[in-house]
Amino acid sequence: MTKAVIDQLRNHVGAKNVYDEKEDLLVYGYDATPEVSALPDVAVFPENIEGLRAALAISRAEGLPVTPRGAATGLSGGSTPINGGMVLGLTRMNKIIEIDEENLTATAEAGVITIDLFNAVSARGLFYPPDPGSQNVSTLGGNVAENAGGLRGLKYGVTRNYVMALTGLLADGTEFKTGGKCVKDVAGYSLRDLLVGSEGTLGIITEITVRLISPPQEKRTLLASFRDIRTAGEAVSRIIAARIIPATLEIMDKMTINCVEDYAAIGLPRQMEALLLIEVDGHPAVVAEEAAGVRRILEEVRAAEIHQAKTPAEAARLAAARRTALSAVARVSPTTILEDATVPRSRLSETFAEIERLKEKYQVRVATFGHAGDGNLHPTALADERNRTEIEHVHAFFAELYEKVLAMGGTVSGEHGIGIAKKGYLLRQFGEGGMGVMRRIKNSFDPGGLLNPGKIFIDDASSTKVRTEGGLHA
Amino acid sequence: MPESSPVGNFNPADAPSYESILQCMRCGFCLAVCPTYALTNRERSSPRGRAALARAVAEGRLEFTAAVGEEAFFCLDCKACSTACPSGVQVGTIMEFCRSQEQNFHPPSVPAGILRDFILKRMLPSPDMMETSLLPVRLYQRLGVQWAVRRLGLNRFLPDTLAKMEGILPTLGRPLRLNIPAVIPAQGKKRGRVAFFLGCAMSLVFPDVSRQTARILAQQGFEVVTPAQVKCCGAPHLAEGDRETARRLALINLELFLGLDCEYIVTDCAGCGCALKEYEELLAGHADHERLRLFRSKIRDISEFLAEVGIRTEELKEVPLSVTYHEPCHLVHGQGLSVPPRQVLRQIPGVELREMKESNWCCGMAGSFALKEIETSRKLLERKLNNVRATDADVLVTGNPGCHLQLAWGVREMGLKQPVLHIVELLGRALPK
Ligand SMILES: Cc1cc2nc3c(=O)[nH]c(=O)nc-3n(C[C@H](O)[C@H](O)[C@H](O)COP(=O)(O)OP(=O)(O)OC[C@H]3O[C@@H](n4cnc5c(N)ncnc54)[C@H](O)[C@@H]3O)c2cc1C
Ligand code: SF4
Ligand code: SF4
Repeated sequence: MTKAVIDQLRNHVGAKNVYDEKEDLLVYGYDATPEVSALPDVAVFPENIEGLRAALAISRAEGLPVTPRGAATGLSGGSTPINGGMVLGLTRMNKIIEIDEENLTATAEAGVITIDLFNAVSARGLFYPPDPGSQNVSTLGGNVAENAGGLRGLKYGVTRNYVMALTGLLADGTEFKTGGKCVKDVAGYSLRDLLVGSEGTLGIITEITVRLISPPQEKRTLLASFRDIRTAGEAVSRIIAARIIPATLEIMDKMTINCVEDYAAIGLPRQMEALLLIEVDGHPAVVAEEAAGVRRILEEVRAAEIHQAKTPAEAARLAAARRTALSAVARVSPTTILEDATVPRSRLSETFAEIERLKEKYQVRVATFGHAGDGNLHPTALADERNRTEIEHVHAFFAELYEKVLAMGGTVSGEHGIGIAKKGYLLRQFGEGGMGVMRRIKNSFDPGGLLNPGKIFIDDASSTKVRTEGGLHA
Repeated sequence: MPESSPVGNFNPADAPSYESILQCMRCGFCLAVCPTYALTNRERSSPRGRAALARAVAEGRLEFTAAVGEEAFFCLDCKACSTACPSGVQVGTIMEFCRSQEQNFHPPSVPAGILRDFILKRMLPSPDMMETSLLPVRLYQRLGVQWAVRRLGLNRFLPDTLAKMEGILPTLGRPLRLNIPAVIPAQGKKRGRVAFFLGCAMSLVFPDVSRQTARILAQQGFEVVTPAQVKCCGAPHLAEGDRETARRLALINLELFLGLDCEYIVTDCAGCGCALKEYEELLAGHADHERLRLFRSKIRDISEFLAEVGIRTEELKEVPLSVTYHEPCHLVHGQGLSVPPRQVLRQIPGVELREMKESNWCCGMAGSFALKEIETSRKLLERKLNNVRATDADVLVTGNPGCHLQLAWGVREMGLKQPVLHIVELLGRALPK
């Protein structure tokens, strides 16, 4: 990277928005994915669309790969610049542009922190449901690019279900706008749906319009503990089969319970094998009925204990504690490798049994938690990346688990995306044919291949000069 | 788990432990609470970024460069990240180690170094010297020069740091250490015997506050022992990266206080309390483990102590005031004490507690940070005081001398109506005469 290019970037994007010192580059090379980190050549943080346009023009002129970056809480390596080049940070484009109470929409720049949008609309009596565990940090752009889910995903859906319109730039500088405030819109191909979940490989998203709804009038939070994790899985399947759709239906296993309790100290039952956090919300009459229904099922499957949160504050504490599960589990060992396996919900109990069996077989320590109601589990291996044998066992564990998950009709990613971590698994899920179609879509958006190269598609990896902390995982 | 601890490009003496750095899983939970990241939006000035820099040095991927040293000193050591981090990473502490590394890799220029050494190694360890060195300040204040300087705006012509120092220091009285009785008898039914750890800043700058602390302890039925041989707790040394002197002082205090035969060691300085509670780590390998544990178990912040033993409220008078409470970093994040000060406030008859937004966000004092990073510090202070103003409370209460100075200065500068009080001053008003 020449001094001239840096100067050019400084001129166009603002001197304080361009970093090329080694200390800065080092910290723009990672996200929350373990074991993966790379050095970009420059990190650029445009404050507006003009700056962004200029940065992209310079990247084209110089042939610099561009890696979009939100808050870098991603769990599949999406915002790591594994081909070097430019990290394009969106966090300085962070204005909430409009909350339209007549159309029930909000429009915000991509760098707005998820919780900030939630709070802003909530102050107007409105509700933006998507709430990834990282919501205090993650950006809307990152949420859209990963199609993030959250604790409320079961009843309210994921980010995709709320995106109405997107604005942004393609790598060649083309400005796109797709969707709008119309609740019905079938004009043309749904580019919007292509961009949601595109992991920064198709275009840079600058503005997002989301759908808002009315907050539920009432909610009730239940905490059920189990002496056996399979029973917890059975409870989930039966709740769904009884056509009760709680807003939240989260699971934590014993290891997770203990780590979360170490951090949050809210009195979780440490000796139990599994916990379900269940929240039903909506109209008071429905809430009462659903809560009773859930309780009945919990009693039928013989949950060890059923506890109802007494106050909204207690319910909030429980949900907040669940959100910290991954990071709390990370206290146990230096390296925490989490996966995102998702199965049809009738197969949950079986999946738990399988995890138990594979833990034994490969002798790995695994904590499991996740969005049980969605069938989306996060088995998380606790390891030490300095111990390569242990890491190999972990990868073998996940490889076999994913075989099973795919055989059950599951998917290799429920919400964290493919990035670099799961390229191999994706190929297995889609086959050459499916990947070929995706490749053609990628080429039509980004023929120059400048945008986030090395992600999702397996063949890009061969040309990468990956610099990692201890080898790529998966 | 292999306990290999690469020191990499760190100096082996007082390097941060590799385990403590590796523990960061980069989830970013800490980004939302870090004041320096909020100001700069620059990853390397965030806890996650700072941990990554330390990791790169430990793994030999980065030299201990000037920028690493700068980040170590730009970190406020407010420990907000430790509270937020579910993985238990303590970036503030890691940066404390990096500060000490900085002294190794980039020692200050000769005159600055001599001054620093003089202050840290000679003046702070010796209460006598500190007290005399502040004599000129007292004289200067008595003579009304301070008034003139302020009124005429002469401090505009002082270099920034001196100007801030001049502005921030209140009128000083006699150091309390020299005239507080060694033993104050308990009043009423005796409930126990406590040692009072009198901090340097409290003794010199806020002697009346600490007098209230002793008075409250006695009124509450405790015999109060205040040793005049007490040394500085060592916090300023840790903050400046002088771990060696910090250990020397800590060893003296450890022996002194364990020799007093008191059930508790109480302090009204959040910074001291925090440092004392960390002697266990600081002195690991330098003192008997059991004695360190015993010492640790006795330390209480005054609010923690009162909440734990329970306040005798029978004789308390009404204090009809609305108050808002600023949480000192060293209390809320350093010691995890958020509820006890509020419990104490709620027990003062007549007091109405009005919570401010972001009560646990740093006020910008952070040791000598306020004097070195004047602009950054002012931005943090403004954010804090805007939250104070919004409560419209009658008084602003806190529990640490550093915050106290900074807030009082800001209140004057920004023309706020709220006087700043230490929590014991407020409680003192409720005590019978
Ligand atoms: C503790 C923890 C809990 C989590 N919980 C959940 C959860 O419950 N549900 C869930 O779905 N995920 C969860 N995640 C994963 C992660 O938080 C989400 O994927 C999140 O949406 C990423 O947002 P970000 O702003 O951090 O994006 P980044 O990590 O910075 O980027 C993610 C991807 O989006 C791309 N990108 C970012 N911004 C843009 C943009 N403006 N335009 C185009 N591309 C862009 C990047 O290139 C990258 O490929 C969790 C992560 C952590 C660490
Ligand atoms: S310091 Fe803690 S909160 Fe911050 S990124 Fe690391 S693990 Fe997460
Ligand atoms: S101690 Fe405070 S300033 Fe330092 S990294 Fe942590 S939160 Fe930021």
